[in-house]
Amino acid sequence: MIMSDSLRSVFAMIELELRRLRHDRTEFYTRAIQPILWLVIYGPVMSAVKAIPTGGVPYTDYITPGLLIQSTTFVAIFYGLTLVFERESGILKKLLVSPPPRYAIVVGKSMSAGVRAIFQALILVPVALLIGVTFVPNVGYFVLALVLISLSAAGFAAFSIIVASLMKTRERMMGIGQAITMPLFFASNALYPVTMMPTVLQWLSIVNPLSHVVGAVRALMITGDLTGLPLDLAAILLFDVIMFAAASVSFRRIIE
Amino acid sequence: MEPAVDVRQLTKVYEGTVRALDGIDLKVETGKVFALLGPNGSGKTTLMRILTTQIDPTSGEAYVLGVNVVSQGAEARKLLGYVPQEMSVWTDISGYENLLIYAKIYGIPPQEREKTIWDALEKMGLKEVANNLVRTYSGGMMRRLEAACAMLIRPKILFLDEPSIGLDPSARRVVWEELTTFKREHGVTIFFNTHYMDEADFYADEIAIIDRGKIVKSGTPEELKRSVGGEVVQFSVKGKSIGEELIDKIRRLSQVKDVIARDSELTVVVQDSETTSPNVIRALEAEGVSIQKISITKPTLDDVFLKYAGTRLETGGGVSEIRQVRRMIRRG
Repeated sequence: MIMSDSLRSVFAMIELELRRLRHDRTEFYTRAIQPILWLVIYGPVMSAVKAIPTGGVPYTDYITPGLLIQSTTFVAIFYGLTLVFERESGILKKLLVSPPPRYAIVVGKSMSAGVRAIFQALILVPVALLIGVTFVPNVGYFVLALVLISLSAAGFAAFSIIVASLMKTRERMMGIGQAITMPLFFASNALYPVTMMPTVLQWLSIVNPLSHVVGAVRALMITGDLTGLPLDLAAILLFDVIMFAAASVSFRRIIE
Repeated sequence: MEPAVDVRQLTKVYEGTVRALDGIDLKVETGKVFALLGPNGSGKTTLMRILTTQIDPTSGEAYVLGVNVVSQGAEARKLLGYVPQEMSVWTDISGYENLLIYAKIYGIPPQEREKTIWDALEKMGLKEVANNLVRTYSGGMMRRLEAACAMLIRPKILFLDEPSIGLDPSARRVVWEELTTFKREHGVTIFFNTHYMDEADFYADEIAIIDRGKIVKSGTPEELKRSVGGEVVQFSVKGKSIGEELIDKIRRLSQVKDVIARDSELTVVVQDSETTSPNVIRALEAEGVSIQKISITKPTLDDVFLKYAGTRLETGGGVSEIRQVRRMIRRG
């Protein structure tokens, strides 16, 4: 009974997000601009330089998964802003007074960020195809890649809920968001192989969830080499579990 | 019958120093409309947030319909509806969609969902704008949507935190008319916080006055007003002057507290003017005194508040209210 209560509210949260998206897609489009620029300008330029060893994959193809994930992760990390807004209004209070357990609200909010991420990633695919990126022609791989992107975005959204429950104001939230996202991105294998990084960053990259998502999605979408996939998959799931649990614990603080 | 709300020796201390609630004892009967009346910062919202399981008390116990809100929070949440003071609807989806999401969260069965939602929208006069984005609603419409949201889930007890803040009088009346009907039809207990005396006076069956974290007095609006020390009835008389004997006679009437006669003015202080005035009138007429005019001055809840809390209710807190209203406008 409790389980179905929770599931129901998770789905209701996701539906809310989809309905929001249907009413107003401005943010959705503007958020796509930056990754498109990376893809269309930075990719071909760095490609021409041929400075980065990508294991035989064209450089633009190599960074495409990283850019998809950069885009979705940024959206997820700023998802906490919605919560800060809902905290300032009475919406969160009302949600907290509803019967589903609080973790269901946290997971629901996180998963809805994950669902939004799927669209945010999909919008970039035609652009990538247009500039000649070749995807592995396997629908199953592609769908799994989207699922992983969604799951990791949900994890980062949960992380953002933790930050929101500590920061509690929009301004601080914006600041922290900026301070976290770029280092995460640069300390990952999104733009260059881990082997090119200084040793310290290489270590960081192992615990950086972004690296694992990029690794998995790159394998599924671009290279088709699935040897590292189980480890990456496990890392993403572990990341989600930890983030969901921590966010559920910290969530209570957000309204106090 | 189980009380709707039962609070015993409840305290809440914020950050170790601020005593928001200082030993509250309170019982609210089932099926009543109950108002917690007090100025801003008196602890009303804190009490409501404890009762709705949002925050835990520092000490003491609180029960909603017999359910302990601290140890059985999940159970309590199934019984209660809640409208917070701040705007609490999603403005970037339609009014209908707001209710749809809540209907799903509360697990209203799919076959009943549409009917329940449209019923609630119709009752609150939002049918025509149901598919518009809430962003385009006025403050009053948003409040009505919030009320619809709270009624949708058929709670056993409804908690309203300052339900008419930022509403014009006609919007307030619409919301309260529907709340009253809803209460009558479903036997719901309504517990509301307010700092408007007239709102408590008009709509509440029972009122408790809270000041600085303490309940200073409670009772029906009439009991509270009577407790101030009675009402003043003034008679302007004509003809025969009022003799000492007549004054003594009136003084001996039951419930009469004091009589003062000056020229053609007779001032009678009574416990309850409605029951005592006829007796005074009869006594005067029996002596052939003709009455030209009667005026009754009743104490207001403000007098009640002044007596028990030592301050006037309507002073102070103005700035925060303006901010509140502004915030709602900005959001709108």
